[in-house]
Amino acid sequence: MRLGLKGRFVVFVSAIIVAFGLVLTALSVRAQNERLRHELEDRGKLLTTVIAANTTDALAMLDVRDLRKTLSEARDQENVLDAVGFDEDGRVLTDGTLVNSRRHEQISEAELRHISGSSALLVEFEGDAMTVTKPVHLGSRMLGGVRLRYSLASLAEEQASLARRTATVGAVFALLGMIAAILLTEAVTRPLNEVIRATRALSQGEPAPRLPVRTTDEVGELAEAFNEMTRKLRDTTVSRDYLDRVLETMGECLVVTGPDGTITRVNRAVCSLSGVGEDELLGQNCRDLFRAPQGHVSLLDALGPDGSARGLETELLARGGEAVPVIVSVGTMEESAGRARSYVVVAADIGERLRHEQQKDEFVTMVHHEVRAPLTAVRGAIGLLDGGVVGELGKRGQELVEIALRNSERMERLVNDILVSRKLDSGRMEFHYEKVELMPLVEQAISAISAYAANYEVRFELSNGVAGATVRVDPDRMIQVLTNVLTNAVRFSAADDVVTVKASRHNDMLRVAISDKGPGISEDFRDHVFEAFARGEHDDWRHRSGTGLGMSISKGIIEELSGTISFETKLGEGTTFFVDIPEYA
Amino acid sequence: MASRFLRRLHPGLLLALAIGCGQPSGPPPSAVATDRPVPAGVLTIGSVSLNPTQEYEVVRPFADYLATNLHSVGIGRGRVVVVGSLSQMVEELREGRVDLLIDSPFPAVFVWQHADVEPILRRWKWGSDVYRSVVFTRADSGIGSIEELRGKIIAFGEPFSTSGFLMPKAALASAGLRLFNYEDPAASIPGNRVGYVFSNDAENTMFWVLKKKVVAGAINSDYYEALAGDRISELRILLTTDAVPRNVVSVRKSLDPKVVQAIEKVLLEMHLSDEGRASLERFEETTRFDRFPGGSEHDLASIAKLLPHVQEDLGQ
Repeated sequence: MRLGLKGRFVVFVSAIIVAFGLVLTALSVRAQNERLRHELEDRGKLLTTVIAANTTDALAMLDVRDLRKTLSEARDQENVLDAVGFDEDGRVLTDGTLVNSRRHEQISEAELRHISGSSALLVEFEGDAMTVTKPVHLGSRMLGGVRLRYSLASLAEEQASLARRTATVGAVFALLGMIAAILLTEAVTRPLNEVIRATRALSQGEPAPRLPVRTTDEVGELAEAFNEMTRKLRDTTVSRDYLDRVLETMGECLVVTGPDGTITRVNRAVCSLSGVGEDELLGQNCRDLFRAPQGHVSLLDALGPDGSARGLETELLARGGEAVPVIVSVGTMEESAGRARSYVVVAADIGERLRHEQQKDEFVTMVHHEVRAPLTAVRGAIGLLDGGVVGELGKRGQELVEIALRNSERMERLVNDILVSRKLDSGRMEFHYEKVELMPLVEQAISAISAYAANYEVRFELSNGVAGATVRVDPDRMIQVLTNVLTNAVRFSAADDVVTVKASRHNDMLRVAISDKGPGISEDFRDHVFEAFARGEHDDWRHRSGTGLGMSISKGIIEELSGTISFETKLGEGTTFFVDIPEYA
Repeated sequence: MASRFLRRLHPGLLLALAIGCGQPSGPPPSAVATDRPVPAGVLTIGSVSLNPTQEYEVVRPFADYLATNLHSVGIGRGRVVVVGSLSQMVEELREGRVDLLIDSPFPAVFVWQHADVEPILRRWKWGSDVYRSVVFTRADSGIGSIEELRGKIIAFGEPFSTSGFLMPKAALASAGLRLFNYEDPAASIPGNRVGYVFSNDAENTMFWVLKKKVVAGAINSDYYEALAGDRISELRILLTTDAVPRNVVSVRKSLDPKVVQAIEKVLLEMHLSDEGRASLERFEETTRFDRFPGGSEHDLASIAKLLPHVQEDLGQ
């Protein structure tokens, strides 16, 4: 039978108490026995000495009757078994009885030798008896002596009685000790049992009761610690429930795997996208769920040195062999030092996005083939009309042709911008890098739109602070960026305004700052300046004449050239755009 | 109830104490059981002792027993009179205040000779009806006969002891030795005398002889072998006296013969009943009573002959 903590504690404490009691009892009994023995011995010696003293006259006078009387009285004393008086030759004169059967007996040689040479007591032990022999002298004359045999049986009886009493007291104390041990154990284990019950309740999903904290000792601390633990556990449980709900409701797929890729958790989105139940997914390897990215044997094989990856495009293998394109991010969870990591795979369905991309491409292709070519033909025809190839047009006709030409040119720009923008988005724009000086590019850009600026009576002021500085760019694209920004500046400048162009070095970059004194950019529009088809609210038609793609294209190009574009603006005072490009030595 | 008196006490100083005189004893148990009225007669037992209280306690049950069994002769009550001297007892007997006396042979014979009493029965004690005395010496003392005790010291027992003193002294005196009492056993004794000292105990006497404190000693012959033990070979007996009754029962002659007869009958039959034996046992370990085998005159003749040698030792 296996004892519980309480039983073991009771047994342990009881054993200690009993052992302690036994040792104490043994020591006590031993001490008491020694004391009793010494007392009895002392009584025997004292009695013998007194008797001897009382027999001096009788021995001196050889008055055996008197000696008998004295020894008879000695015999009547407690514990005296035998008493004899003997002469100087060691012959017994009387044993204190009328019969005196010991008469004439010779005492032992040892006793005789002792009494002959000493006046001290001779004490001998034999079994449960003690024999005390006391020589009797009168002056220097040895008269004889007395010998009392003293029973130590009473000692044994007293010792036995003492042992019984001590054992009884010991048993009572042991019993009291055991009761105390039980009570103590109950006091100690009751809180533990409460903790056990509460823990069991907790493990079975029941609400954990709050344990009473009765004391400030370790048991009280245990109860407080348990209450604290349950409180934190409750908070954790709430957080986990919250997290679970988030994970279950999130649109992205969430897959958690072990270090070997074994799936340990999936959210509802995974099941929904894959068409496979959670029970079936758990335990599978993630390579069975995700196709390996190109050039890798598995998804986890594509992770970086830090065990993570972002923006991996692959496919989720759904039931029935369907492959769903997904973009995957992988993170690592180190559970604890030295323990294997877990992987968190978040996959987003990009099927819709890819379809949109495809539709865009189809649209661009359509624009390229179905709009641009006819538009070119239309523009050419209008140009011929405007050039008088078909004859002199009337004033009204000439005005209509100019309007048509202007709008066709605008439409052509729009189509071109759309195509460029699409190329940038799809990453299909080609760049031809070469090392060139920056300033000539700036000057070419200014020159390219000088006619346009002249139309609006806007002129440029160029400040060159980086003469000879070179950059590694596609010159045409760089000029395109600068042209877009300069055009934008002209567009928002009033007549006779000056657009300043200042080249300088800024934070290890070459900066071209293009400033106008236009109306500035409104607060609401500032965040949308570089978005496609974004245009502010302006009354002036000229401000709306752009395609709305220029700044977006400029930003896309300059970032492809490893540069940046930014601006500072102040309403009513103007705007400055900064084109920063790394200097290339 | 051996002769309990002090030899040297002046008669006038002897206690004349009668315990129970005039005090009716409580009715004995057996008397209560009978429907008959208790007779008015009283039987008085006399005793000589210097320890009257103890003596009274010893004798009274015996007196009660006798009275209980003497209702038929008009005795309804027993009484005990303890006196301190033999002469006082003689007076009590002469005056008729004592009816019955139980004592050692020498006092009994003395009373018989001086008062009007009649020895009627012997009293056995410790299982024997008679005793003797022996006079002994160490075998290596060089003394071969009692005559060689002249100029020496002999030890007797107690002064009132028949076997330890009166009888051996009387025997030695009757043999022509002149005995004188000394206090010191080492006293120098003239050659025409035999000195004697009292050891006051037969065992003392034995050891005094063995330890050469005295040249010779006299003790009851019944004790001799026991006291000598394995040292008996070291001793030599010089004299053994004639056997004499242990105790003698004497009655006042003026007592009603029917009462005397009834007393004799009760005493002679006491040892036959449990109640009687118990009473005897309590009465100084008396064994029984019987008649003198050769008659009192004959059996006490030797005592009567020796009595003059110790008469003064009896306090007379």
